[in-house]
Parts: sequence; C-alpha cells; structure tokens
Amino acid sequence: MRGRLMFALGALVALGAVRPAFAGQPAPPADPAAPAPAPAPGDAAAPQAPDPAPPAPSSPDDDALDDVAAVPRGDPDAPLHEDNEFGPLILIERIDITGNTATQTEIILRALPLGPGDVLHSSDRRLREARFKVLALGFFRDVSLTIHKGSQRGQVVIEVHVIERGTLVLNRLWFGTTSVSPWWVGSDIGERNLFGLGIAVGGGFIYARQATQDIPGGRDQYAAELRLADPSVLGTRWGASWAATLVHGSEPYRVSGDPGDTTPGSQRAFPYRRLGVRIGATYDLSALTRLSMGLRAEGIDATPPVAPIRQLPGGPAIAVDLHLDPGASRVVTASFGFDRDTRPDPILPHAGGHLVASAELGGTLLGGSYDFATIFGRYEHYWPVHGERHALAIKLSGGVVVGDAPRFDRIHIADVDRMLTPRALGLVLSTSAPLAILGTRADKPTYGDLGGSATVEYAFALFRGSGKQRVYGGDVFIGAGLWGLAEHADLRARDTGVFASLPIDIYADAGLRLDTDIGVFELTIANALGRLR
Amino acid sequence: MVAAVLAIVRPAHAEDDKPELQRMRFVERGDDLTVSTLPPGGIGKLFDAHAYEALSTGIPSSVVIRIQITPRDSNDPVAEQLIQRSVVYDVWDEIYTLRLEQPDGSRTIKVKYRAEALKWLTAIDDLPVARLAVLPVEQVFVLKMVVELNPVSRETLAEVRRWLSQGNGGGLDRGGAFFGSFVSVFYNPKIADADRVLRIRSQPFYRAPP
Repeated sequence: MRGRLMFALGALVALGAVRPAFAGQPAPPADPAAPAPAPAPGDAAAPQAPDPAPPAPSSPDDDALDDVAAVPRGDPDAPLHEDNEFGPLILIERIDITGNTATQTEIILRALPLGPGDVLHSSDRRLREARFKVLALGFFRDVSLTIHKGSQRGQVVIEVHVIERGTLVLNRLWFGTTSVSPWWVGSDIGERNLFGLGIAVGGGFIYARQATQDIPGGRDQYAAELRLADPSVLGTRWGASWAATLVHGSEPYRVSGDPGDTTPGSQRAFPYRRLGVRIGATYDLSALTRLSMGLRAEGIDATPPVAPIRQLPGGPAIAVDLHLDPGASRVVTASFGFDRDTRPDPILPHAGGHLVASAELGGTLLGGSYDFATIFGRYEHYWPVHGERHALAIKLSGGVVVGDAPRFDRIHIADVDRMLTPRALGLVLSTSAPLAILGTRADKPTYGDLGGSATVEYAFALFRGSGKQRVYGGDVFIGAGLWGLAEHADLRARDTGVFASLPIDIYADAGLRLDTDIGVFELTIANALGRLR
Repeated sequence: MVAAVLAIVRPAHAEDDKPELQRMRFVERGDDLTVSTLPPGGIGKLFDAHAYEALSTGIPSSVVIRIQITPRDSNDPVAEQLIQRSVVYDVWDEIYTLRLEQPDGSRTIKVKYRAEALKWLTAIDDLPVARLAVLPVEQVFVLKMVVELNPVSRETLAEVRRWLSQGNGGGLDRGGAFFGSFVSVFYNPKIADADRVLRIRSQPFYRAPP
C-alpha cells in the first residue's frame, strides 16, 4: 500500500502536478492573498507588469551578465552536515577495488578513511571523502565509489573503481648558455608509483660544458642524483626517503676585476667531487602538514689553491676564503623540517599559504669535518582580491648559516636573486654578477651566511578551464622584491655609507604560468635571464 | 608559443565563465520576496546523465545554492541565501533520503524514485530569497545564483594536489618541484572544486509601488 502511495506521489511529482514546497512555504498559485504580483518588467508572463519611469530592460544585457561571475562563493569550507548525518545506518561488510591493473589493491585500501566492520550513516563524510583520499595518492585519473547490498540486511559492499594514469614525471629540464658554460643540458625524471607499490623513484643528470679558455682550472661538469621515496610506509603516517648524489664539478672564484668583469683571467676555478647519501623520514601531522627529519653523509674531494687571493681593482690583494678543506673531507648532518601547505591549487595559487622551515646541524661529533648549522625558512601567502580572478601574494624566504659551513652549504647568490642562473644539482653554471639597480654595494658575495628575499606578487587569472581544452588555467603575474646576501664579516664593519654598503638589491619578474593536463609551464623574464647570463 | 596559448585561452574562458540569463518569477509573499525558476530554465541541467546515475550509487550527493540579490549596477548584495540539499540512496530499502537545509530550517524527506529526488534537489519554487524591507520600491535589482554539485572544500583540494608540491625526495637541489624550471611534464589530472557549477542571473526586476 505504502509503495503504491509512493508511486502515485512520485508519478505526480514527475508529471509536475505537485511541486515540492519547503516547510512553511506555501505553493505559490494557491495563495490568493499574495499581494503585488511579480514585478518582472518585460516578462509577458507577469501580470500587471508596471511600466514606470525606471528602466526595466527585458532583454539580456550581455555586459551585465559578467557580473554573475563575480558572485562570491561564500565559505567553501563550510561543512555539510558534519555533525548532522542522515540516511540509514550501514555496516561495511567488504570493500572491493576494481580497475587497478598496476597499483596494488593494498595501497588503495590503506588510503581509504574507512574499512570493513565500520558502522556509519550513509551520509557520513568519510564516504564523501573516500574518493579524494584515493585521488590524493596521485596515481589515478578518476575514482568512483558505489555501494552494493551485502550478504545481510544493513550490510553493504563498497566498490571503489579506479582509472589509472601514467605516473611518469618530468620534473625539470636544465638547459642554457652562459659565458662560463657555453651549454648545459639535463633533466630530472621520476616514476611516482614504481611497480604499483606506491614507491617513488627518480633521478636527474646534468652535463655542463665549461669554457676552460676563460677560466683556468675549470673543467666540464656533471652531476647525477638517484632518489627513492615511500610517502606512506605500510599505509602509516610515516614516510621514508633515500637519495644519492654525485657531483663532478669545478668551482669558480674571482681573482681580479670588478664583480661584473668576465674577461679571461679574472676568475679561476678548482676541481672538486662530492658523493653523498641522504636518508630521511617524514611524518604527516595532518593531510596538509608534514614533519621531516634526515641524515646526510657526504664525502668531498677538492683541490682548492693553497692561498687564493683576489686583486682588488686599484687596490691591495686580499685573501679569499673558499670555505672548503683541501683534499678529502666529510659532511655529516642531521636535519629537521616542517612543511604546511594550505594552497588549494599549488600551481596557480590564489589562496592559502605555504610554510617551509628546516634546520640542519653538522659537526665533528657526528663524524664530519665541518661544524656548522643552517636554518632556512620560506613562507608565502596568497589573498584573493576582487573576487577570485586576482590575487596578491607575499613571499618571504631567508636563511642563516652559522659556523664553519662548507662552501656548498652556504647561501648562493642565485638562491636569493631569481634573475641569476640557479644552481642545478649543486653545479654553479654562471658567474654573472647581479644587476645593480639600487646602487647599493656593488661587490656582493657569491656565497653568504645570511640571505633572503621578500617579494610582492600580483597574479591575474587569465583564464580557467575544465580541462576539456587540455588546459586548466593560466595566470599572468608580475612581482618585485628585495633580496640580500651577506657574509657575517660584512655586517661587522663598513668603509662607506650605510646605503652604499648594504648587500641588498631589488629584482622583478613577470610572466605566464600555465597548468595543463600534461604538466605545468612557466614563461618568465627571470627564467629566461637565468638561462642566458 | 604565445599565439598557441591565446588560441587556447579564448574558448576555455568562454566555456567556463559565462553566466546564463534565466527568466524567473518574483512574488511578494508577506514580508518576503520569493523566486521561482521558469521553464525551460531552472537548475536541472546541473545533473548530466552521469550525475543523475550517481544518485543511485549510495554515495551522498549535494547541491549548494548561493543566491545574491544586488542592485542592477552593483555587486554589493542586499540579500544573500545559502541553501544546501543532500541526498543519499538506501540500497536496502531502495529509497532516497533527502536533507533540505535553508535559512528557515531544515527537513528530511524520503522519496521512492530517483526522478523525485532530482526534483527536490533542483526545485526553485517560491523560494524566499529576501526580506522586502531591503528592496526599496522601484529600485531595479537582479538575482545572481551560483549552484554547485558536490562542492569540494579547499582543504580537500589542497590535499588532493599536495603531492605536486612535496619536492623530489631530498636531494641536493633546493627549491620547489616545479617552476624552478621552464617546464614540468606529467600526467596532470585535476579535480574541479565542484562536479558542476551553474552561474545564473535573472532578468532585472523591481518592486512596483503599492
């Protein structure tokens, strides 16, 4: 009987004979007392449509339509029924995984926030979140869930159907040309789901031809790195990583001339070799917050000059500290890190923030040759302005090195000035001086103990797509900032005015960022400069 | 390269952001202004065949409707409404349980057929959207509506894409996993912040003098 009534009601609803009405909300046609009939100017269906003086266009206003896009979404984080579940209670009898051909079923089961034996309402948030927990593995193009009847009433079987995707990643491409290195080329690739085990393996290799005629002592450089990581060991919050790096390089240093002088003979180089291993562990405090710790052991074999000096222009010769022990030495460190990333979209961020901090301690007590400590931090935050198309960002980064740190653990000038060629796998590929824009200290150090940058960036969402065009979105951005790099000795004394002695300057960058279904692309002025100077 | 980008940009922008003009019926009821969508409008198109089928999977579906009434030439709302409607299918009793939440309260109802559930989820029928007191007579307003199917929280979005920013496992190189380079290439699926979004705008309307 009840079924027939429901069927009749359903048929009526489907036919539109009965219109759903909310509690306390009368069906409109049945209310004869309703005053003031619909004032819909230009709407032929509206009786008594007045024709007053105020304009009441009835045709679509194409320009005005854009206003709709500016409607704020309100608080998208507002929980939906978080504490007010409804629907029947169900007991999960079994979870079936289908569609996976490469990924181990166990990997997927571990990612789910529920399991067999759990009792929950069918509106439970864990059921809604399960899809995203599996997607967060990064191994699947799509994930869908379906609930089927179990073997007994009230019991259910959850089917999780996954569509796998390629997990090969090209992380980086290195190429460019400078006066020091006529050409360099290399890449870093990785596989994020090795044998379907959820283990990431990757590596990079770079080769840089050296202009030995310009820099005596220089030689061709190459570096290689191999990495292995399990972001969730046995499905726990713990992760583990391992990396090995080999660097066969030559390190340039200035022996005469001004900072921008690249004439032959103004620089020398000495060869070195580094071979290091790093092991690490991570712990996920939450989905967005991660702690890390690591140990690094590295052997350095370098042949720096016995007493390097630099002939200052029109002045005396000064000793140059290359911050490296001659011959064989060791670097052994322990490190700790913190990472919290709340950006909904890390590629084209318009909201949220990212905080990264790390501290590393190296010493003879650990078996190394250098006693030092480093602290590095980076914080960036994005604020949407004028709806969601525009965003302002503040980016702060900095670090301090204390003690007798080896050369390679100090802050390189390209770490803080984006308009210079960055180091690649530890190799220095350019000796270009930074652009002197402010007129502050001209002779800024190549390596420093204290450095950082502060940037303000404005981004405009050029477009957003659903992916149907293979493109998710593109941002145009422009940013400018202040950077600085100093050795602690520079901070003790100065022989000129305060402004002229400040080891700071400004930089600017602008360009285009694209997020596509085949990766991310960035076309920027600074990136171009970093490949050509 | 720039030309290729621009060629992509135009259709993508047009595809996703253009709001839809719909004719709606506004009625003064007591102290409230109510709105109804009129055929062939409405928000039924939020559900394509796939989304409609998904109502029977047993996994909850939600529709979030955000409504603003603004003066025609302004984006400053004089009234706002947030309405949430959810449905879940009971695989044993083969019924749909709906939770309808709006400012004047919430209620739970059960229906037998998927079409009924869809109707309840998408009906905009004499929905109170503003107190008349905030709508001066003869001033022209428009109603703007953003409707989302299964919206995803920002935290979840961040979680799903977090693997992108986790670096490359702790080698020598400092810096992020991408944008330290000209390009990073990988199969890059991206979930939207909702399964589907409708942006709708009504025709201009005003209250007639008594």
